[in-house]
Amino acid sequence: MSEILTGAQILCCELEAAGIDVIFGYPGGAIMPFYHALPEYPGLRHVLVRHEQAAAHAADGYARASGRVGVCVATSGPGATNLVTGLATAHMDSSPVLAITGQVGRPMIGRDAFQETDIIGVTLPITKYNHLVQDVTELADRVREAIAIAQEGRPGPVLLDVPKDVQNQRAPYNPPTRPVGGPVAARPIRPLEEGVAEAARLIAEAERPLLMIGHGVILSAAYNEVRALAERTGIPVITTLLGISAFPEAHPLHLGMPGMHGEVHVNRAIQHADLIVGIGLRFDDRVTGNLAAFAPQAKIVHIELDPSEIGKNVKVALGIVGDAREVTGRLVRAVQPRQCTAWREEIQGFMRPRVESYSGDLSPEAILGAIYEATGGRCTIVTDVGQHQMWVAKHYPYQRANTHITSGGLGAMGFAVPAAMGVHLARPGEVVWAISGDGGFQMNMAEIASMVQEGLSVKMAIFNNGYLGMVRQWQQFFHEKRYSCTPIWSPDYVKLAAAYGIAGWRVEKRDELEAAVREANAERGPALVEFVIAQDANVYPMIPPGGSLSEPIEAQPAATPAS
Amino acid sequence: MSSSHTVAVLLDEDLLTFNRVIGVVRRRNLPVAGITVGPSGRPGQLRLTFLVTTDDANAERLLRQLEKAHGVREAQVRATTSPAVPQPSEALP
Repeated sequence: MSEILTGAQILCCELEAAGIDVIFGYPGGAIMPFYHALPEYPGLRHVLVRHEQAAAHAADGYARASGRVGVCVATSGPGATNLVTGLATAHMDSSPVLAITGQVGRPMIGRDAFQETDIIGVTLPITKYNHLVQDVTELADRVREAIAIAQEGRPGPVLLDVPKDVQNQRAPYNPPTRPVGGPVAARPIRPLEEGVAEAARLIAEAERPLLMIGHGVILSAAYNEVRALAERTGIPVITTLLGISAFPEAHPLHLGMPGMHGEVHVNRAIQHADLIVGIGLRFDDRVTGNLAAFAPQAKIVHIELDPSEIGKNVKVALGIVGDAREVTGRLVRAVQPRQCTAWREEIQGFMRPRVESYSGDLSPEAILGAIYEATGGRCTIVTDVGQHQMWVAKHYPYQRANTHITSGGLGAMGFAVPAAMGVHLARPGEVVWAISGDGGFQMNMAEIASMVQEGLSVKMAIFNNGYLGMVRQWQQFFHEKRYSCTPIWSPDYVKLAAAYGIAGWRVEKRDELEAAVREANAERGPALVEFVIAQDANVYPMIPPGGSLSEPIEAQPAATPAS
Repeated sequence: MSSSHTVAVLLDEDLLTFNRVIGVVRRRNLPVAGITVGPSGRPGQLRLTFLVTTDDANAERLLRQLEKAHGVREAQVRATTSPAVPQPSEALP
């Protein structure tokens, strides 16, 4: 039986019907009818952020940690445009986020009304789907469609722009009678069985094969299948930045991260491989370096849900369109058991004893080790962007699936703190650490107030080197050590924590480390720990931008000693 | 080697889909000419055609990305013509 509801009430009903239990948002003029209706729907917990960008990042973090749609809400104009970085992040990293924006009333659209922005036009290239709702009678269908599109196939962000008068319009409403959404099969390039058989044949023929796994393995939860494939064939496993935590770091077949800051032996293995089986990744330029010199001896098998990714960056011998879990599962059954003993020994020979690049007392490795010890490895790590992100990717010993969340494709500084709020709400029983540099932390540190108001127990680590460290590193290596505009001042973070009423620590010496991390981890509420690290700490090795994976910078260049 | 590809896209007849499709083409940053749009003969669907000068692999990538855009029903290369070999008098110095 239908009832007469306002557009705002219909929005809330549809969100509840889709199983949404938390939304991140910020009210304003054009979204006020929605906020007026919201208290009638106690199943929808609203988290008030301090900036709409944080709402989008938090929805993204929630989506990545839960596997469900993350929802963010903003008003028109500045509210909507502030979502843009978060939506672009979700778009690049295939995260299902629904953004709902208020819009000025329909009679005012296109007349430069107060707080009017063409957010549909603005977000066209960074959403899978967006739509300006024209009338309340289409609203429920559009919400269902948007949520379905966000999740189906390769996930991604969607946006619904709802004019204020549509939110106030009344219409008969019927709740959905069946669950909305559901995956739609991708268009195969060739029959799946044929592709899997061909992949199995290529694996059997290869002498130096590698598995390279990305975010798609996490999105489809193909952990067991990938592990079974690796163990059945003895093929070493490389995890891309977004593939980290898809395969246990301590597994004897795990090699590490490839690309610009990948370990030397990983990149060298790629350069010597005769077969690379890529699962759920897109061969991003940070992974491949100079494409013309990437894996020159390797045939590439690319297993990927999105047909447009196959052959986009690297030339493939075989493309298989499909879900990572399904295709890998079939491949496990199709391959003959084998070992790659000689090849693995060859890769062992590529390994270098790590040159300790860190001159100070408090190394990034020691800090990450302390976090691992304090949490027993039972936590999710959310990183920001820059040097600390690479240190975490390289040194944190992930053992549990999908416990590493970061802004990979877009590389959006400011991601960690708000995204960790979303992760906390998706995994309320677990500890979440947001690790940032002093630059990225200051971009969204206002969200501490959101954590306090909403009782979100996020642990924040700040790697403070007084610089925008990754840019400083590039300036050192490639811009004549002209440290233009990279020194960055920080407030007193312990006092900042105190001002927000949360616990804070500053760690400057190695012997202060364990106690501070342990105490912060045990705090009931949010906690902040500043780690004062050396200003000249660099991330090694490094492939120069546009360079070949065969030519890493492995240590401080001799001609440019540390200043 | 670059050739001239005639790309035909069948898309839903609404401005947002049209805008989305043009955005996909523009974002690839390829030289495009001869843009026409008109009825497709199918109710509610438009036919967009244009010429893009690029190599076969890039043209194929463009098709895959067009097919991904919401509201696109079909994208295909209708014809490919190799560029005329320049005569010596026309060759650039």
